[in-house]
Amino acid sequence: MKTAKLASVVAILAGLFFPEMAFAQTDPGVRSNTGVNAGQPFTSVTASQNDLAFFQTGLGQFNEHQTVTGNNPGLGPRFNLDSCGACHSQPAPGGTSPASAIFPNVGPNPQSQVIANGVVNGSTNTIPYFVQANGPVREARFPFFFNLFGNPNPNAPNGGVEDLFTVSGRADAGSCSLQQPSFNTARVTNNIIFRIPTPVFGTGLMANIDDSTLRANRAAQANNRLGVGGAFNHNGNDGTISRFGWKAQNKSLMIFAGEAYNVEMGISNELFTQDRPLPGEDQLGSGLPSNCLNLAGIGYPEDITHSDGTTASTVTSDVGLFNTFMQFLDQPTPSTTSPGGSTSIANGRRLFSAIGCAICHTPSLTTQASKLTPGLGNATANLFSDIEIHHMGVGLADNVSQGGAGGDQFRTSPLWGLGQRIFFLHDGRTTNLLGAIQAHQSNGSEASQVEENFDLLSPSQQQDLLNFLRSL
Amino acid sequence: MSRPVFSYWRLRGLNMHPRFSRSLVVLGFSISLIARAQCAPQSGGDFSNNPQPNALPSDVILVKGAWSSASDSVTPVPEGGRVANNLFSSQYFGLTYALSPDWIEKYSGPPPSDSGYYVLAQIRPANTFKGTIRGSILIAAQDLFFTLTPAGTALELINYNKESLDADYKVEQPPTLVRVANHSFVRFDYGSPVAELHWRVLATQIRCHMVQFVFTSRDTKLVESLMLEMSKMTLPAEAGPISGRGGGEVPVCIKDYARDENVLERVDPVFSERRFNPAPVRIIIDKKGKVKHIHFLSAFPDQAKAITDALSQWRFRPYLRDGKPVEVETGIMFGRVPRPAIPPSTNAATE
Repeated sequence: MKTAKLASVVAILAGLFFPEMAFAQTDPGVRSNTGVNAGQPFTSVTASQNDLAFFQTGLGQFNEHQTVTGNNPGLGPRFNLDSCGACHSQPAPGGTSPASAIFPNVGPNPQSQVIANGVVNGSTNTIPYFVQANGPVREARFPFFFNLFGNPNPNAPNGGVEDLFTVSGRADAGSCSLQQPSFNTARVTNNIIFRIPTPVFGTGLMANIDDSTLRANRAAQANNRLGVGGAFNHNGNDGTISRFGWKAQNKSLMIFAGEAYNVEMGISNELFTQDRPLPGEDQLGSGLPSNCLNLAGIGYPEDITHSDGTTASTVTSDVGLFNTFMQFLDQPTPSTTSPGGSTSIANGRRLFSAIGCAICHTPSLTTQASKLTPGLGNATANLFSDIEIHHMGVGLADNVSQGGAGGDQFRTSPLWGLGQRIFFLHDGRTTNLLGAIQAHQSNGSEASQVEENFDLLSPSQQQDLLNFLRSL
Repeated sequence: MSRPVFSYWRLRGLNMHPRFSRSLVVLGFSISLIARAQCAPQSGGDFSNNPQPNALPSDVILVKGAWSSASDSVTPVPEGGRVANNLFSSQYFGLTYALSPDWIEKYSGPPPSDSGYYVLAQIRPANTFKGTIRGSILIAAQDLFFTLTPAGTALELINYNKESLDADYKVEQPPTLVRVANHSFVRFDYGSPVAELHWRVLATQIRCHMVQFVFTSRDTKLVESLMLEMSKMTLPAEAGPISGRGGGEVPVCIKDYARDENVLERVDPVFSERRFNPAPVRIIIDKKGKVKHIHFLSAFPDQAKAITDALSQWRFRPYLRDGKPVEVETGIMFGRVPRPAIPPSTNAATE
């Protein structure tokens, strides 16, 4: 009893003399004392020689750097980077934007190094203003087409990806000469938004959650008394729930991979079979100049299933290998003790549910039976997402529509692996978890009331919640 | 891009005949249009010569997905409530609620959901608030035609809340009928021991919607004092946990009135794009059985148009009350019908 009294006195004195220590809640930052807790295949994959070979080949392909011609052909003529694994690298292949000074010190933003690394020619390309060495990997979109005078036309929604770089000036690009998009004008006219890479750990589990499970979860959360609505984005072909990408616009990992290979790296494939012009070039009907087509000299699509392969993994196309790699990536492993200790983390987890975060960030959902590998079947996916799209208000709106999602709607971002992510929100605008939470509140957001509940917590309760999130 | 500039007034300064100078202006403008048409709009190009960049506004949602709208701007809609001069008022619900001094609506709510959930107002302390412990008030509504919850009345909905409450919460007072501002409400109190937060829910039913006030704070005295101020509310006569079914000055509301025996002529809307979203619609049917007003809770513009075109051809059997036709308000779900929740076992309050 005496000890308790003494502790109370010490706490009060500490609060008086060191108020920020006693009351300020802070983001613990990227968890660095538990090793890298993501990027491994399911144990059922490791246990199968064939599946493991598939995974390893997929991993190798995921990290491979593409060139315009040569052994890994097809890059460009427009692209955001030359490798999946360069962008999806924090804290392990399959993750998201890296940094050189933050655990596990993967390296600087690779987009900031493209000239130094010889990926693009510095006389024909510049590094856009929004790409920084210590900032996130970004793709850019112009929400609206420009009119003839160089001003955005609000009646002409665009929203397509404006690739950052061109192959122009590379030794293997021939006479292809392309300009980069008008990023500075887009900046001046407030007609540019950004996206950062979504981590793909555990996405095989997400792919294997039946629609009925998602719909039942939505119905169970519908009467929440906290202002949260929610809806699903649907695949226009078959009407089922789509689930990948920042707006849940992609139905499957295969489509996600095929689109990214085409859009981010400029490599045509069996799902997206042509080289992709910018949305403006496409709108004009001019497309890509003829001297920028078939630069690899191998015809289209540039990535195909190989009939001359000798094993399953050598027959499979790059896109197929990416798909297998992602399907077989296990979900990240949370820490039960770091940061802040097990009591704080457990308390934070209960607070996360109590104030309403878990209405959208559904802690877990169960997958259906899987034919791919046992690890994917009847498993608990601790994704912390309902895979619904929610109105996130004017503060986060990007005015880009994808599928059924409007300019202010975003998929509930899965939080697994959050403890080892550096950049937050769709555009990577903050590295501070507290800032990311506060950004949930703005005019028109479904999350304003829940964020208000967070504000009603005591500093120590908020700290517990932050610790819990950084334990994931 | 070069931009030819022709100044009418400069031409006048050259003492040209006004008609001639106007002709020159027209000619010059035409040439400039031709020049611009030949100069292709650029996405990958350089607009650095644009001398007058017009920046898009920030903090505005310009590209909307499925959203709410109505066939006319005169008929009140549920989401049309506003906070002004420290008073929340909703013409649709016939409700006014005076905010406590130093409490404001800082952030407006999202559009209605496709299951009929409305955030009417989110009230919280202003920066001038003197209290040390804060709180919040959420005013919300749930359309009982489209709720995913197996409940037909506000009372059933609150009972469902209690039965489905997560184990981490503690029921502090089960659903109980109370009188507020001379109307019957159902009150439900619960709290979270871990968050040390308390919730007080007061709900009634108006026009087949549950209208709900949710008070949240660490301080039960604060929420009790806020609840006392509800006594100054004004509400329509119909308001009550099960009684709010319209009538009087507003249409009678009837769930599923658009069932086969009441629909004399029906034309299904044809959606041009397959989006697979639910498109809930509230309609008011006039005394002759024609659709008088359409409120789209959540629909894309092309869907709203297709539904409008279809509903304009519908004919209903007029609804009779005491032998006289009256206006009816009902709901119809177009598009995909969402999955309802499974009801929990109930131990419910009754009226």
